[in-house]
Amino acid sequence: MTRLIPDWEIRITNFGLGYILMCLVVAISALNTGNNGLYLVLAGMLAAMIVSGVLSRRNVRGVACRIETVGEVVATRPAWLKVRLENRMKTATAQALFFLHESLPGPLWVDPLAPGEVRELVVEGRFSRRGVHRDADAGLLSRFPLGLFRKYRRATLAREVVVFPLPEASRVPDIPAEDARGGRPHPHSRGGGSDIRTLREFSPGDDPRDLHWKQSARMRRWIVREREAERDRAVFLAVENALPEPFDSASLERLERAIARAAGQALLLLSRGAEVGLHARGVKVAARGGRPQRVRILDALARLEAVPLASAPDFPAMRRGDVRWLVS
Amino acid sequence: MARLLTDPREMPSGLRRAYLLVLAPPAFLAPLPLLWTGGASRAAIVIYEIILAFLWTRAREGRPVRMSNAMMNVAGIAYLAWLGVSSATLRPGLLPSVAHLLLFTGLAKLASLKRPSEARLALLVVFLLTLASASSSTHVSSVLYFAAAAWVGFRALARLAVLADFDDAPPERVLAAVPTRGMSAVAILSGTLCAVPLFVVLPRLHGPFALAPFRVEDAFGKALAADRVDLESFGAAKRSDRVILRLSSRPELARQSALRLREAVFTDYLDGVWTRDPRTSARRGERSTHFLSDRGSSEKTVATVSADLNVYGQGFLFLPYGTSAVRVERGRALELSDGVLQVASGRGPVHYEADVRREAPRGAGHGAISPADVPPEVELYARHLTAGLTDPRAIARRIEDHFAKDFVYTLDPPRAEGDPLVHFLLRSKAGHCEYFASAAAMMLASRGIPARLVTGSFGGEQGLFSSTIVVRAQNLHAWVEADLDGTGFQIFDPTPPGGLPEALRPYSLLSRLAALGREIEFFYDRRVLGFDSSDQAGAIESARESFSDAAAALSFLRRSAREALWPEAAAGALLALLLGALFARAFLRRRQALAPATRAYVALRRALTRRRGQIPPSTPPAEVARLFAEAVPEAREDAAAVVAVYCASAFGGIAPGPEAVRQLDARLRRLKKLA
Repeated sequence: MTRLIPDWEIRITNFGLGYILMCLVVAISALNTGNNGLYLVLAGMLAAMIVSGVLSRRNVRGVACRIETVGEVVATRPAWLKVRLENRMKTATAQALFFLHESLPGPLWVDPLAPGEVRELVVEGRFSRRGVHRDADAGLLSRFPLGLFRKYRRATLAREVVVFPLPEASRVPDIPAEDARGGRPHPHSRGGGSDIRTLREFSPGDDPRDLHWKQSARMRRWIVREREAERDRAVFLAVENALPEPFDSASLERLERAIARAAGQALLLLSRGAEVGLHARGVKVAARGGRPQRVRILDALARLEAVPLASAPDFPAMRRGDVRWLVS
Repeated sequence: MARLLTDPREMPSGLRRAYLLVLAPPAFLAPLPLLWTGGASRAAIVIYEIILAFLWTRAREGRPVRMSNAMMNVAGIAYLAWLGVSSATLRPGLLPSVAHLLLFTGLAKLASLKRPSEARLALLVVFLLTLASASSSTHVSSVLYFAAAAWVGFRALARLAVLADFDDAPPERVLAAVPTRGMSAVAILSGTLCAVPLFVVLPRLHGPFALAPFRVEDAFGKALAADRVDLESFGAAKRSDRVILRLSSRPELARQSALRLREAVFTDYLDGVWTRDPRTSARRGERSTHFLSDRGSSEKTVATVSADLNVYGQGFLFLPYGTSAVRVERGRALELSDGVLQVASGRGPVHYEADVRREAPRGAGHGAISPADVPPEVELYARHLTAGLTDPRAIARRIEDHFAKDFVYTLDPPRAEGDPLVHFLLRSKAGHCEYFASAAAMMLASRGIPARLVTGSFGGEQGLFSSTIVVRAQNLHAWVEADLDGTGFQIFDPTPPGGLPEALRPYSLLSRLAALGREIEFFYDRRVLGFDSSDQAGAIESARESFSDAAAALSFLRRSAREALWPEAAAGALLALLLGALFARAFLRRRQALAPATRAYVALRRALTRRRGQIPPSTPPAEVARLFAEAVPEAREDAAAVVAVYCASAFGGIAPGPEAVRQLDARLRRLKKLA
């Protein structure tokens, strides 16, 4: 498959090669005939090549292209990219520019940018794999002015782009119960657990069953029991990122699969209100619940890298009562 | 076969339309010069242009022509057959045959575009047609063709470069936006600037292939060769208004003496051709200044004449009478024994300066016509005409009167059989200055008076904005130098007054434009079409000398600066610079310190002071406004507005915005005008 994004900055085109060939033909004709008309044409062609080189360099280098993502980016899923184009030339219009991005089906035409003009475009991009992108896989391409050369300028990223892994659906086992009610006390928050946390005055909304009659009688005010909250057992999803060296593609593929599954399981558990953490070699995300935890886990999974088995650190230590599932 | 004819990757109709619209203009322009150069049959070019216009119109309408491959094959075979027949019977020559083939191929490609690569092939054909046109054009108007081709070609290539990245028809705005006109102009201008040195330095192995149909300087070459002047060709040269030299003088010379410039002296005549004495010996001049041998030094110099001469012939300098020393910018002057100066130079301009002394004009050098060389018919004629006269001045006056009364001045003298001078004197009695001067010189010589023919120029054109005098070919003139009273060779001009070139003629716009056109034509013929290896060597040598001069000047400047920068001077300069900077800073700060409203109020007070005299500093702003309104009632409103803004700014802390500042400035300008 041909890669759309070039890894060069300047490349002569087929037309350019033909042009050089024609220059040689005209040069030989002029030398052999002494025809000054041909010398004029030859001088004009060579001058055009020089001017073309200078203009195309200015045209592409004079434009700054910065890319910024809008919202979350998930591997292989469409993502919105905000492209900011700025013509830094004071007098010249930047023209015949194409915006290239790996996710676009082809080059995207950019209307000429007037001197000093700043333009923002929003394009739909697609990142092929999870990870952290510090370089934009995008840029500006131009054959301007004569099509002799193609010049490419890589775009810069406004900030690093973290591409979350695409969650893969898989079955999640039930979380084993620790006590009779299937949960454990949470000393820091109130809730509907069996242990009493404190006594306080009644406030609207309190369950009348929690009224502490004796204390109410003593104080001649309604006093209720406030109970401790209960939570499920904290679950840590563990991903084995230590691989035997050298890393082969099959192992890496397995790791990516595990990461995708871990992402899927984490999202599922979080959606059920569970507290989920993440363990990997050298990586620990504390178990919590809620939407921020979802981002924390996905971010950690996006940044997770394979480490050599020989020098890999141990998994983070577990606390009593925590559960760790190895996702494979 | 059918499978081969249908290409699944054929470009969409919209893209074909776009390619056609881009390629049609250069294709239309490419063969046009062939209409005049005979590089192709005119009928073929006209048919080509008509078909191209049809293709372009169809593309404009959104219905681009796409001939089928079968049609193309039939057309190709038919054309090949026609090419064979025409080559065998009509024998049109190589260039027309190739041009016709290119015209056909270009049309065929444009009418059957299927893939982008075919568009590039069509472009190649158009380029080859352009090449054929450019290489066969010799007229100066080719420059216009080159300019138009560069403009159209740049636009077409820029658009093709954009189309190369489209798989389908681009929106209309895409091609319309590329390239911008400014960018095209800059690119073509820069390209031209780069092309000039490239044209000069590209190696030349052969002499110029194509020359201008008429090399203008040939006439001058004959008239101004100065080793040999033909009576017949002098008139032809005088009809031209080619610039011979430009002249300026410091201080300005008296017109008549300055405008008669002596170039060459002739003493040998045979059958209408004057030749220089081969025995004239030369004296090599000094590199910097050449002092004329019989005048010695530059003492008593009254003026310095500076001239730029376009050397057409042997490099003889046009010098005013009374020249004592000559400085040639490049090379050395060679003084010949008859007082003529020659520079060893190729073609091209020569710059020189001559010191002129105030003295009676006398021809320098030696040599005169030998009485034995005078044709017997002329001698007899002279004897009859000047019978009874012995005083040389009386003889000269008689000859002059005779010519004025009985002869006609014309640049087209009747053609003669035999000696044209004898024909002029005895039969036609009509000729130009050289006939008159030749006849007079011969008659004087036949009477034993030392005389010789001198060629040079008389008169010129005064510039509109400068004191520069332009001497053209029509100012070329011939006269006689004769020793009439034993004081040396005096000027004797026997040409009737009607034949004398105008002493000083102002430029007219029309003549200036016409001259400019001719200069361009001459430049193109000489410096572009006729550019050869010797010119190339000359140009490179000039560039080298210019660099060398610049380097010398730079080194001199550096040396002078080093000498001039002794410690005291350096300290003084530094101090002056420092003081200047401090002063400028203080001035700028003062200007910036004042708020716009305050500045306006101060200006108002100043205007009032100028109008009414000193006003006390304690006068309040409202009073200033009232006084100003009293003094200039028309400015009442403006003065009140300025004061109001000032009060708001100074006492209320309300600074005026940019628009208010602009209005304030406008009011202030009005106030100053009214005050």
